[in-house]
Amino acid sequence: MAILTRRDAIKQMLKVIAAVGAANFFTVQDLIAMENGRMIKPNIVWLHGSSCSGCSTSFLNIEDVSVLDILTRYTNIIYHPDISLATGKQVTEILNKASKELKDNYLFVVEGSIPVAMPHACMMGDRPIMEWMEQMSASASACVAGGTCAAFGGITGMQGMDAGVMSIGKFTKYKNINKPVVSLPNCPMKPEHLVYVIFHYAKFKTIPELDAEGRPLRFFSQTVHERCIYYSEFQEKNYAKKIGDSGCLLKLGCQGPVTKNDCMTIGHNNNTNTCIKAGHPCIGCASEHFPRQIMLHTFKDERAISKFRHFKFKG
Amino acid sequence: MSERKITIDPLTRIEGHLKFETIIKDGVVTDAKCSAEMYRGIEKALIGYDARVAQQVTQRVCGVCPYAHAEAASLALENAMGIKPNHNGQLLRNMIVGAYQLQDHLLHFYILSALDFIDITAVLKYEGDDDSVLSVKKWVQNELKSNKIFPAAPFLPRYEAMYAKGNNTNFTAIKNYLEAIKVMADLTKAVAIFGAKAPHPVTLEAGGVTTIPTIGKLAKYRSLIISARNFIKDNYLNDIIAVAKEFPEYFKIGAGYGDYLSYPYLPDENGENHLFVGGSTIDGKYEELDLKNIFEDHKYSYYKSKPDSNVRPLDSTDLTPINYEEFKEEQKKEGGKYSWSRAPRYKGKIMEVGPVARVINTYKSGKNKKLNTLVDSINKKLGLTFKEYNSVLGRHLCRAIMATTIIDKILEDTEKVIPDELAFVERAVPKNAVGFGLTEATRGALAHWIETDENGLIKNYDMIVPTTWNISPKDASGALGAVEKMLMGTKIKDPDNPIELARIVRSTDPCLACSVH
Repeated sequence: MAILTRRDAIKQMLKVIAAVGAANFFTVQDLIAMENGRMIKPNIVWLHGSSCSGCSTSFLNIEDVSVLDILTRYTNIIYHPDISLATGKQVTEILNKASKELKDNYLFVVEGSIPVAMPHACMMGDRPIMEWMEQMSASASACVAGGTCAAFGGITGMQGMDAGVMSIGKFTKYKNINKPVVSLPNCPMKPEHLVYVIFHYAKFKTIPELDAEGRPLRFFSQTVHERCIYYSEFQEKNYAKKIGDSGCLLKLGCQGPVTKNDCMTIGHNNNTNTCIKAGHPCIGCASEHFPRQIMLHTFKDERAISKFRHFKFKG
Repeated sequence: MSERKITIDPLTRIEGHLKFETIIKDGVVTDAKCSAEMYRGIEKALIGYDARVAQQVTQRVCGVCPYAHAEAASLALENAMGIKPNHNGQLLRNMIVGAYQLQDHLLHFYILSALDFIDITAVLKYEGDDDSVLSVKKWVQNELKSNKIFPAAPFLPRYEAMYAKGNNTNFTAIKNYLEAIKVMADLTKAVAIFGAKAPHPVTLEAGGVTTIPTIGKLAKYRSLIISARNFIKDNYLNDIIAVAKEFPEYFKIGAGYGDYLSYPYLPDENGENHLFVGGSTIDGKYEELDLKNIFEDHKYSYYKSKPDSNVRPLDSTDLTPINYEEFKEEQKKEGGKYSWSRAPRYKGKIMEVGPVARVINTYKSGKNKKLNTLVDSINKKLGLTFKEYNSVLGRHLCRAIMATTIIDKILEDTEKVIPDELAFVERAVPKNAVGFGLTEATRGALAHWIETDENGLIKNYDMIVPTTWNISPKDASGALGAVEKMLMGTKIKDPDNPIELARIVRSTDPCLACSVH
């Protein structure tokens, strides 16, 4: 499916490959090989657990090449809940068939977390989603945790939630499913990260090198703070005292120092902006601690400094 | 007399996990049950977090309309603080939420709904010279020839049914389907210029917007919106009209109760004179909004807290879900609980929220003359009255009417911004305060309520979101929810391919993640 001619598509696709940082291993010859069938396109199955569809929507927004081009020219997208025309029973049939006939031969992209303490907190086709997640991850060649909920629990795992969710990484361990899991935290997932993983997988049949939290080192080896446009201001102790001031946003609640991510290299929406460039402290949406109890606050907010750091949540 | 149950589970191309069951007697729907299939419990989990966290967390209720939750949460906290944004703050907020809503309308029509009407396989007959359509044709041909296990996924399989017959309708819509993805990406870029990112724009805080509107940013925003304008005003509206001509019966199919609720949306720079008004139309009569008329009910929802009906927003801090064993019991029980969604009611009535509510209420209020002129001209052109708005196509048409109205408004607002001036008013979080915020998400009326404690932390939080109104289960009186009612009486041609039902449910643009938060 395409909005572009073949020549244009390849040209544009090379731009995408460069933008996501895959240019050092994925070449124009590889792209042509994929187009004419000499390189196998990865199969993809995508499921939503306890999610908000933000990561899918974010993926739709990828630029240079339409997401449909990527999905249909360079992958076989077996199922996606927001794009597939299949509905109702057709969906459960596709999933059952894929887990049998494409065994160990698809990337399983998980968006959202998996409620385990309350299996009925997410149901599909009259079965708890955790059963589907078990079935589909066990048959996958590798799993991709798309977004912070799938990678760490995120919003769905915040204090006070009672569904008892697990990330897909935790869940596969809990179920003794021995499959590689690559985590792509960010709320929502950055489409560039997923495209990189897909091309890496297409070329090498493996997932990229990961850190201890399962994140690709390529994107998550440094904190937002370490690469921040205000890093020198931070070293000079030049802090913004209110929104609109120039200077380091640390004392207004910035989570940059505790958030590993590449926002300063790959910004949002085709590098249109980042939170810090938009005058707002980083909220740490890719962090394993997201969401924090206090995020944006005033300069002298005592609560943020001491009293409530170990605040006990009610309930 | 033949009787049969049709279950669609999952319904795809909506946000989230939705199941619905209908009973068909002699080919006609005689009973309907919509079940929201997911629960998170975000409102009560917010208790103990800082008041400002609500904005960032509640927008993550939904990755499709996060902007609306961010706005409602900011309005609620501003209400508790007793402030309003400044001139620039209000304008930038409008520009972020307006551009985002346009993107969402395109997403809903093209990506989620259009291919229920448009025949994607018609592309095989295409003989024109448009590169994009030709390349789709070639792709479908190759896929069908291949010996893949899932040829032409994600476009096949689909319900086999009557799709549009007109080649031009199909070709144009397929071309626009592809084009829409580009326009949507541009619109989200426009959102990100001031919102930092989309989905989940962070800068919409109580007090305004944290981004300083430089001339460069304003110019970039303006050019992105202008480039989307023709697509929205011409292609989008014309595609809906083309579908309407192929499927005129869908101006009758999918009629609900016909009572409508909407909240004020897109004010001027002073936070007044909204582009769309708040209010209700019950039995054809418009009245101004009164929040005291709102109650929630969860007799048929998977919660055990008491009381289970006539609960006012912020009345309780507890909404305890049933456990898995109880859940399985309820499923077996005749007349048991069947949804994670609650059932909000206005004056005890079941209200439809969304595009039709917004257009009809605003029209009847007479407060937006330009909208009335536009609606009159479209009605005249298509031979419609408001009666036909209560239908599948009525909902699609009203979205296009709204999109056309919104795009003019945000361009006007762009001109009014004072470059380089701060768009944010800073306040400490209020202690022991209460506030509410109202707006319109893409899919309808959205309200947040907040209560803070002596430390400015959240003491209680409530949201009543659009899809909760529409997709609600029965209430204590036993009356069907709004979408359930729309399904009743529908003729189903082929029970194995019940596309009529999917078209009806999708026309309300359900957002299950919102609905159950």
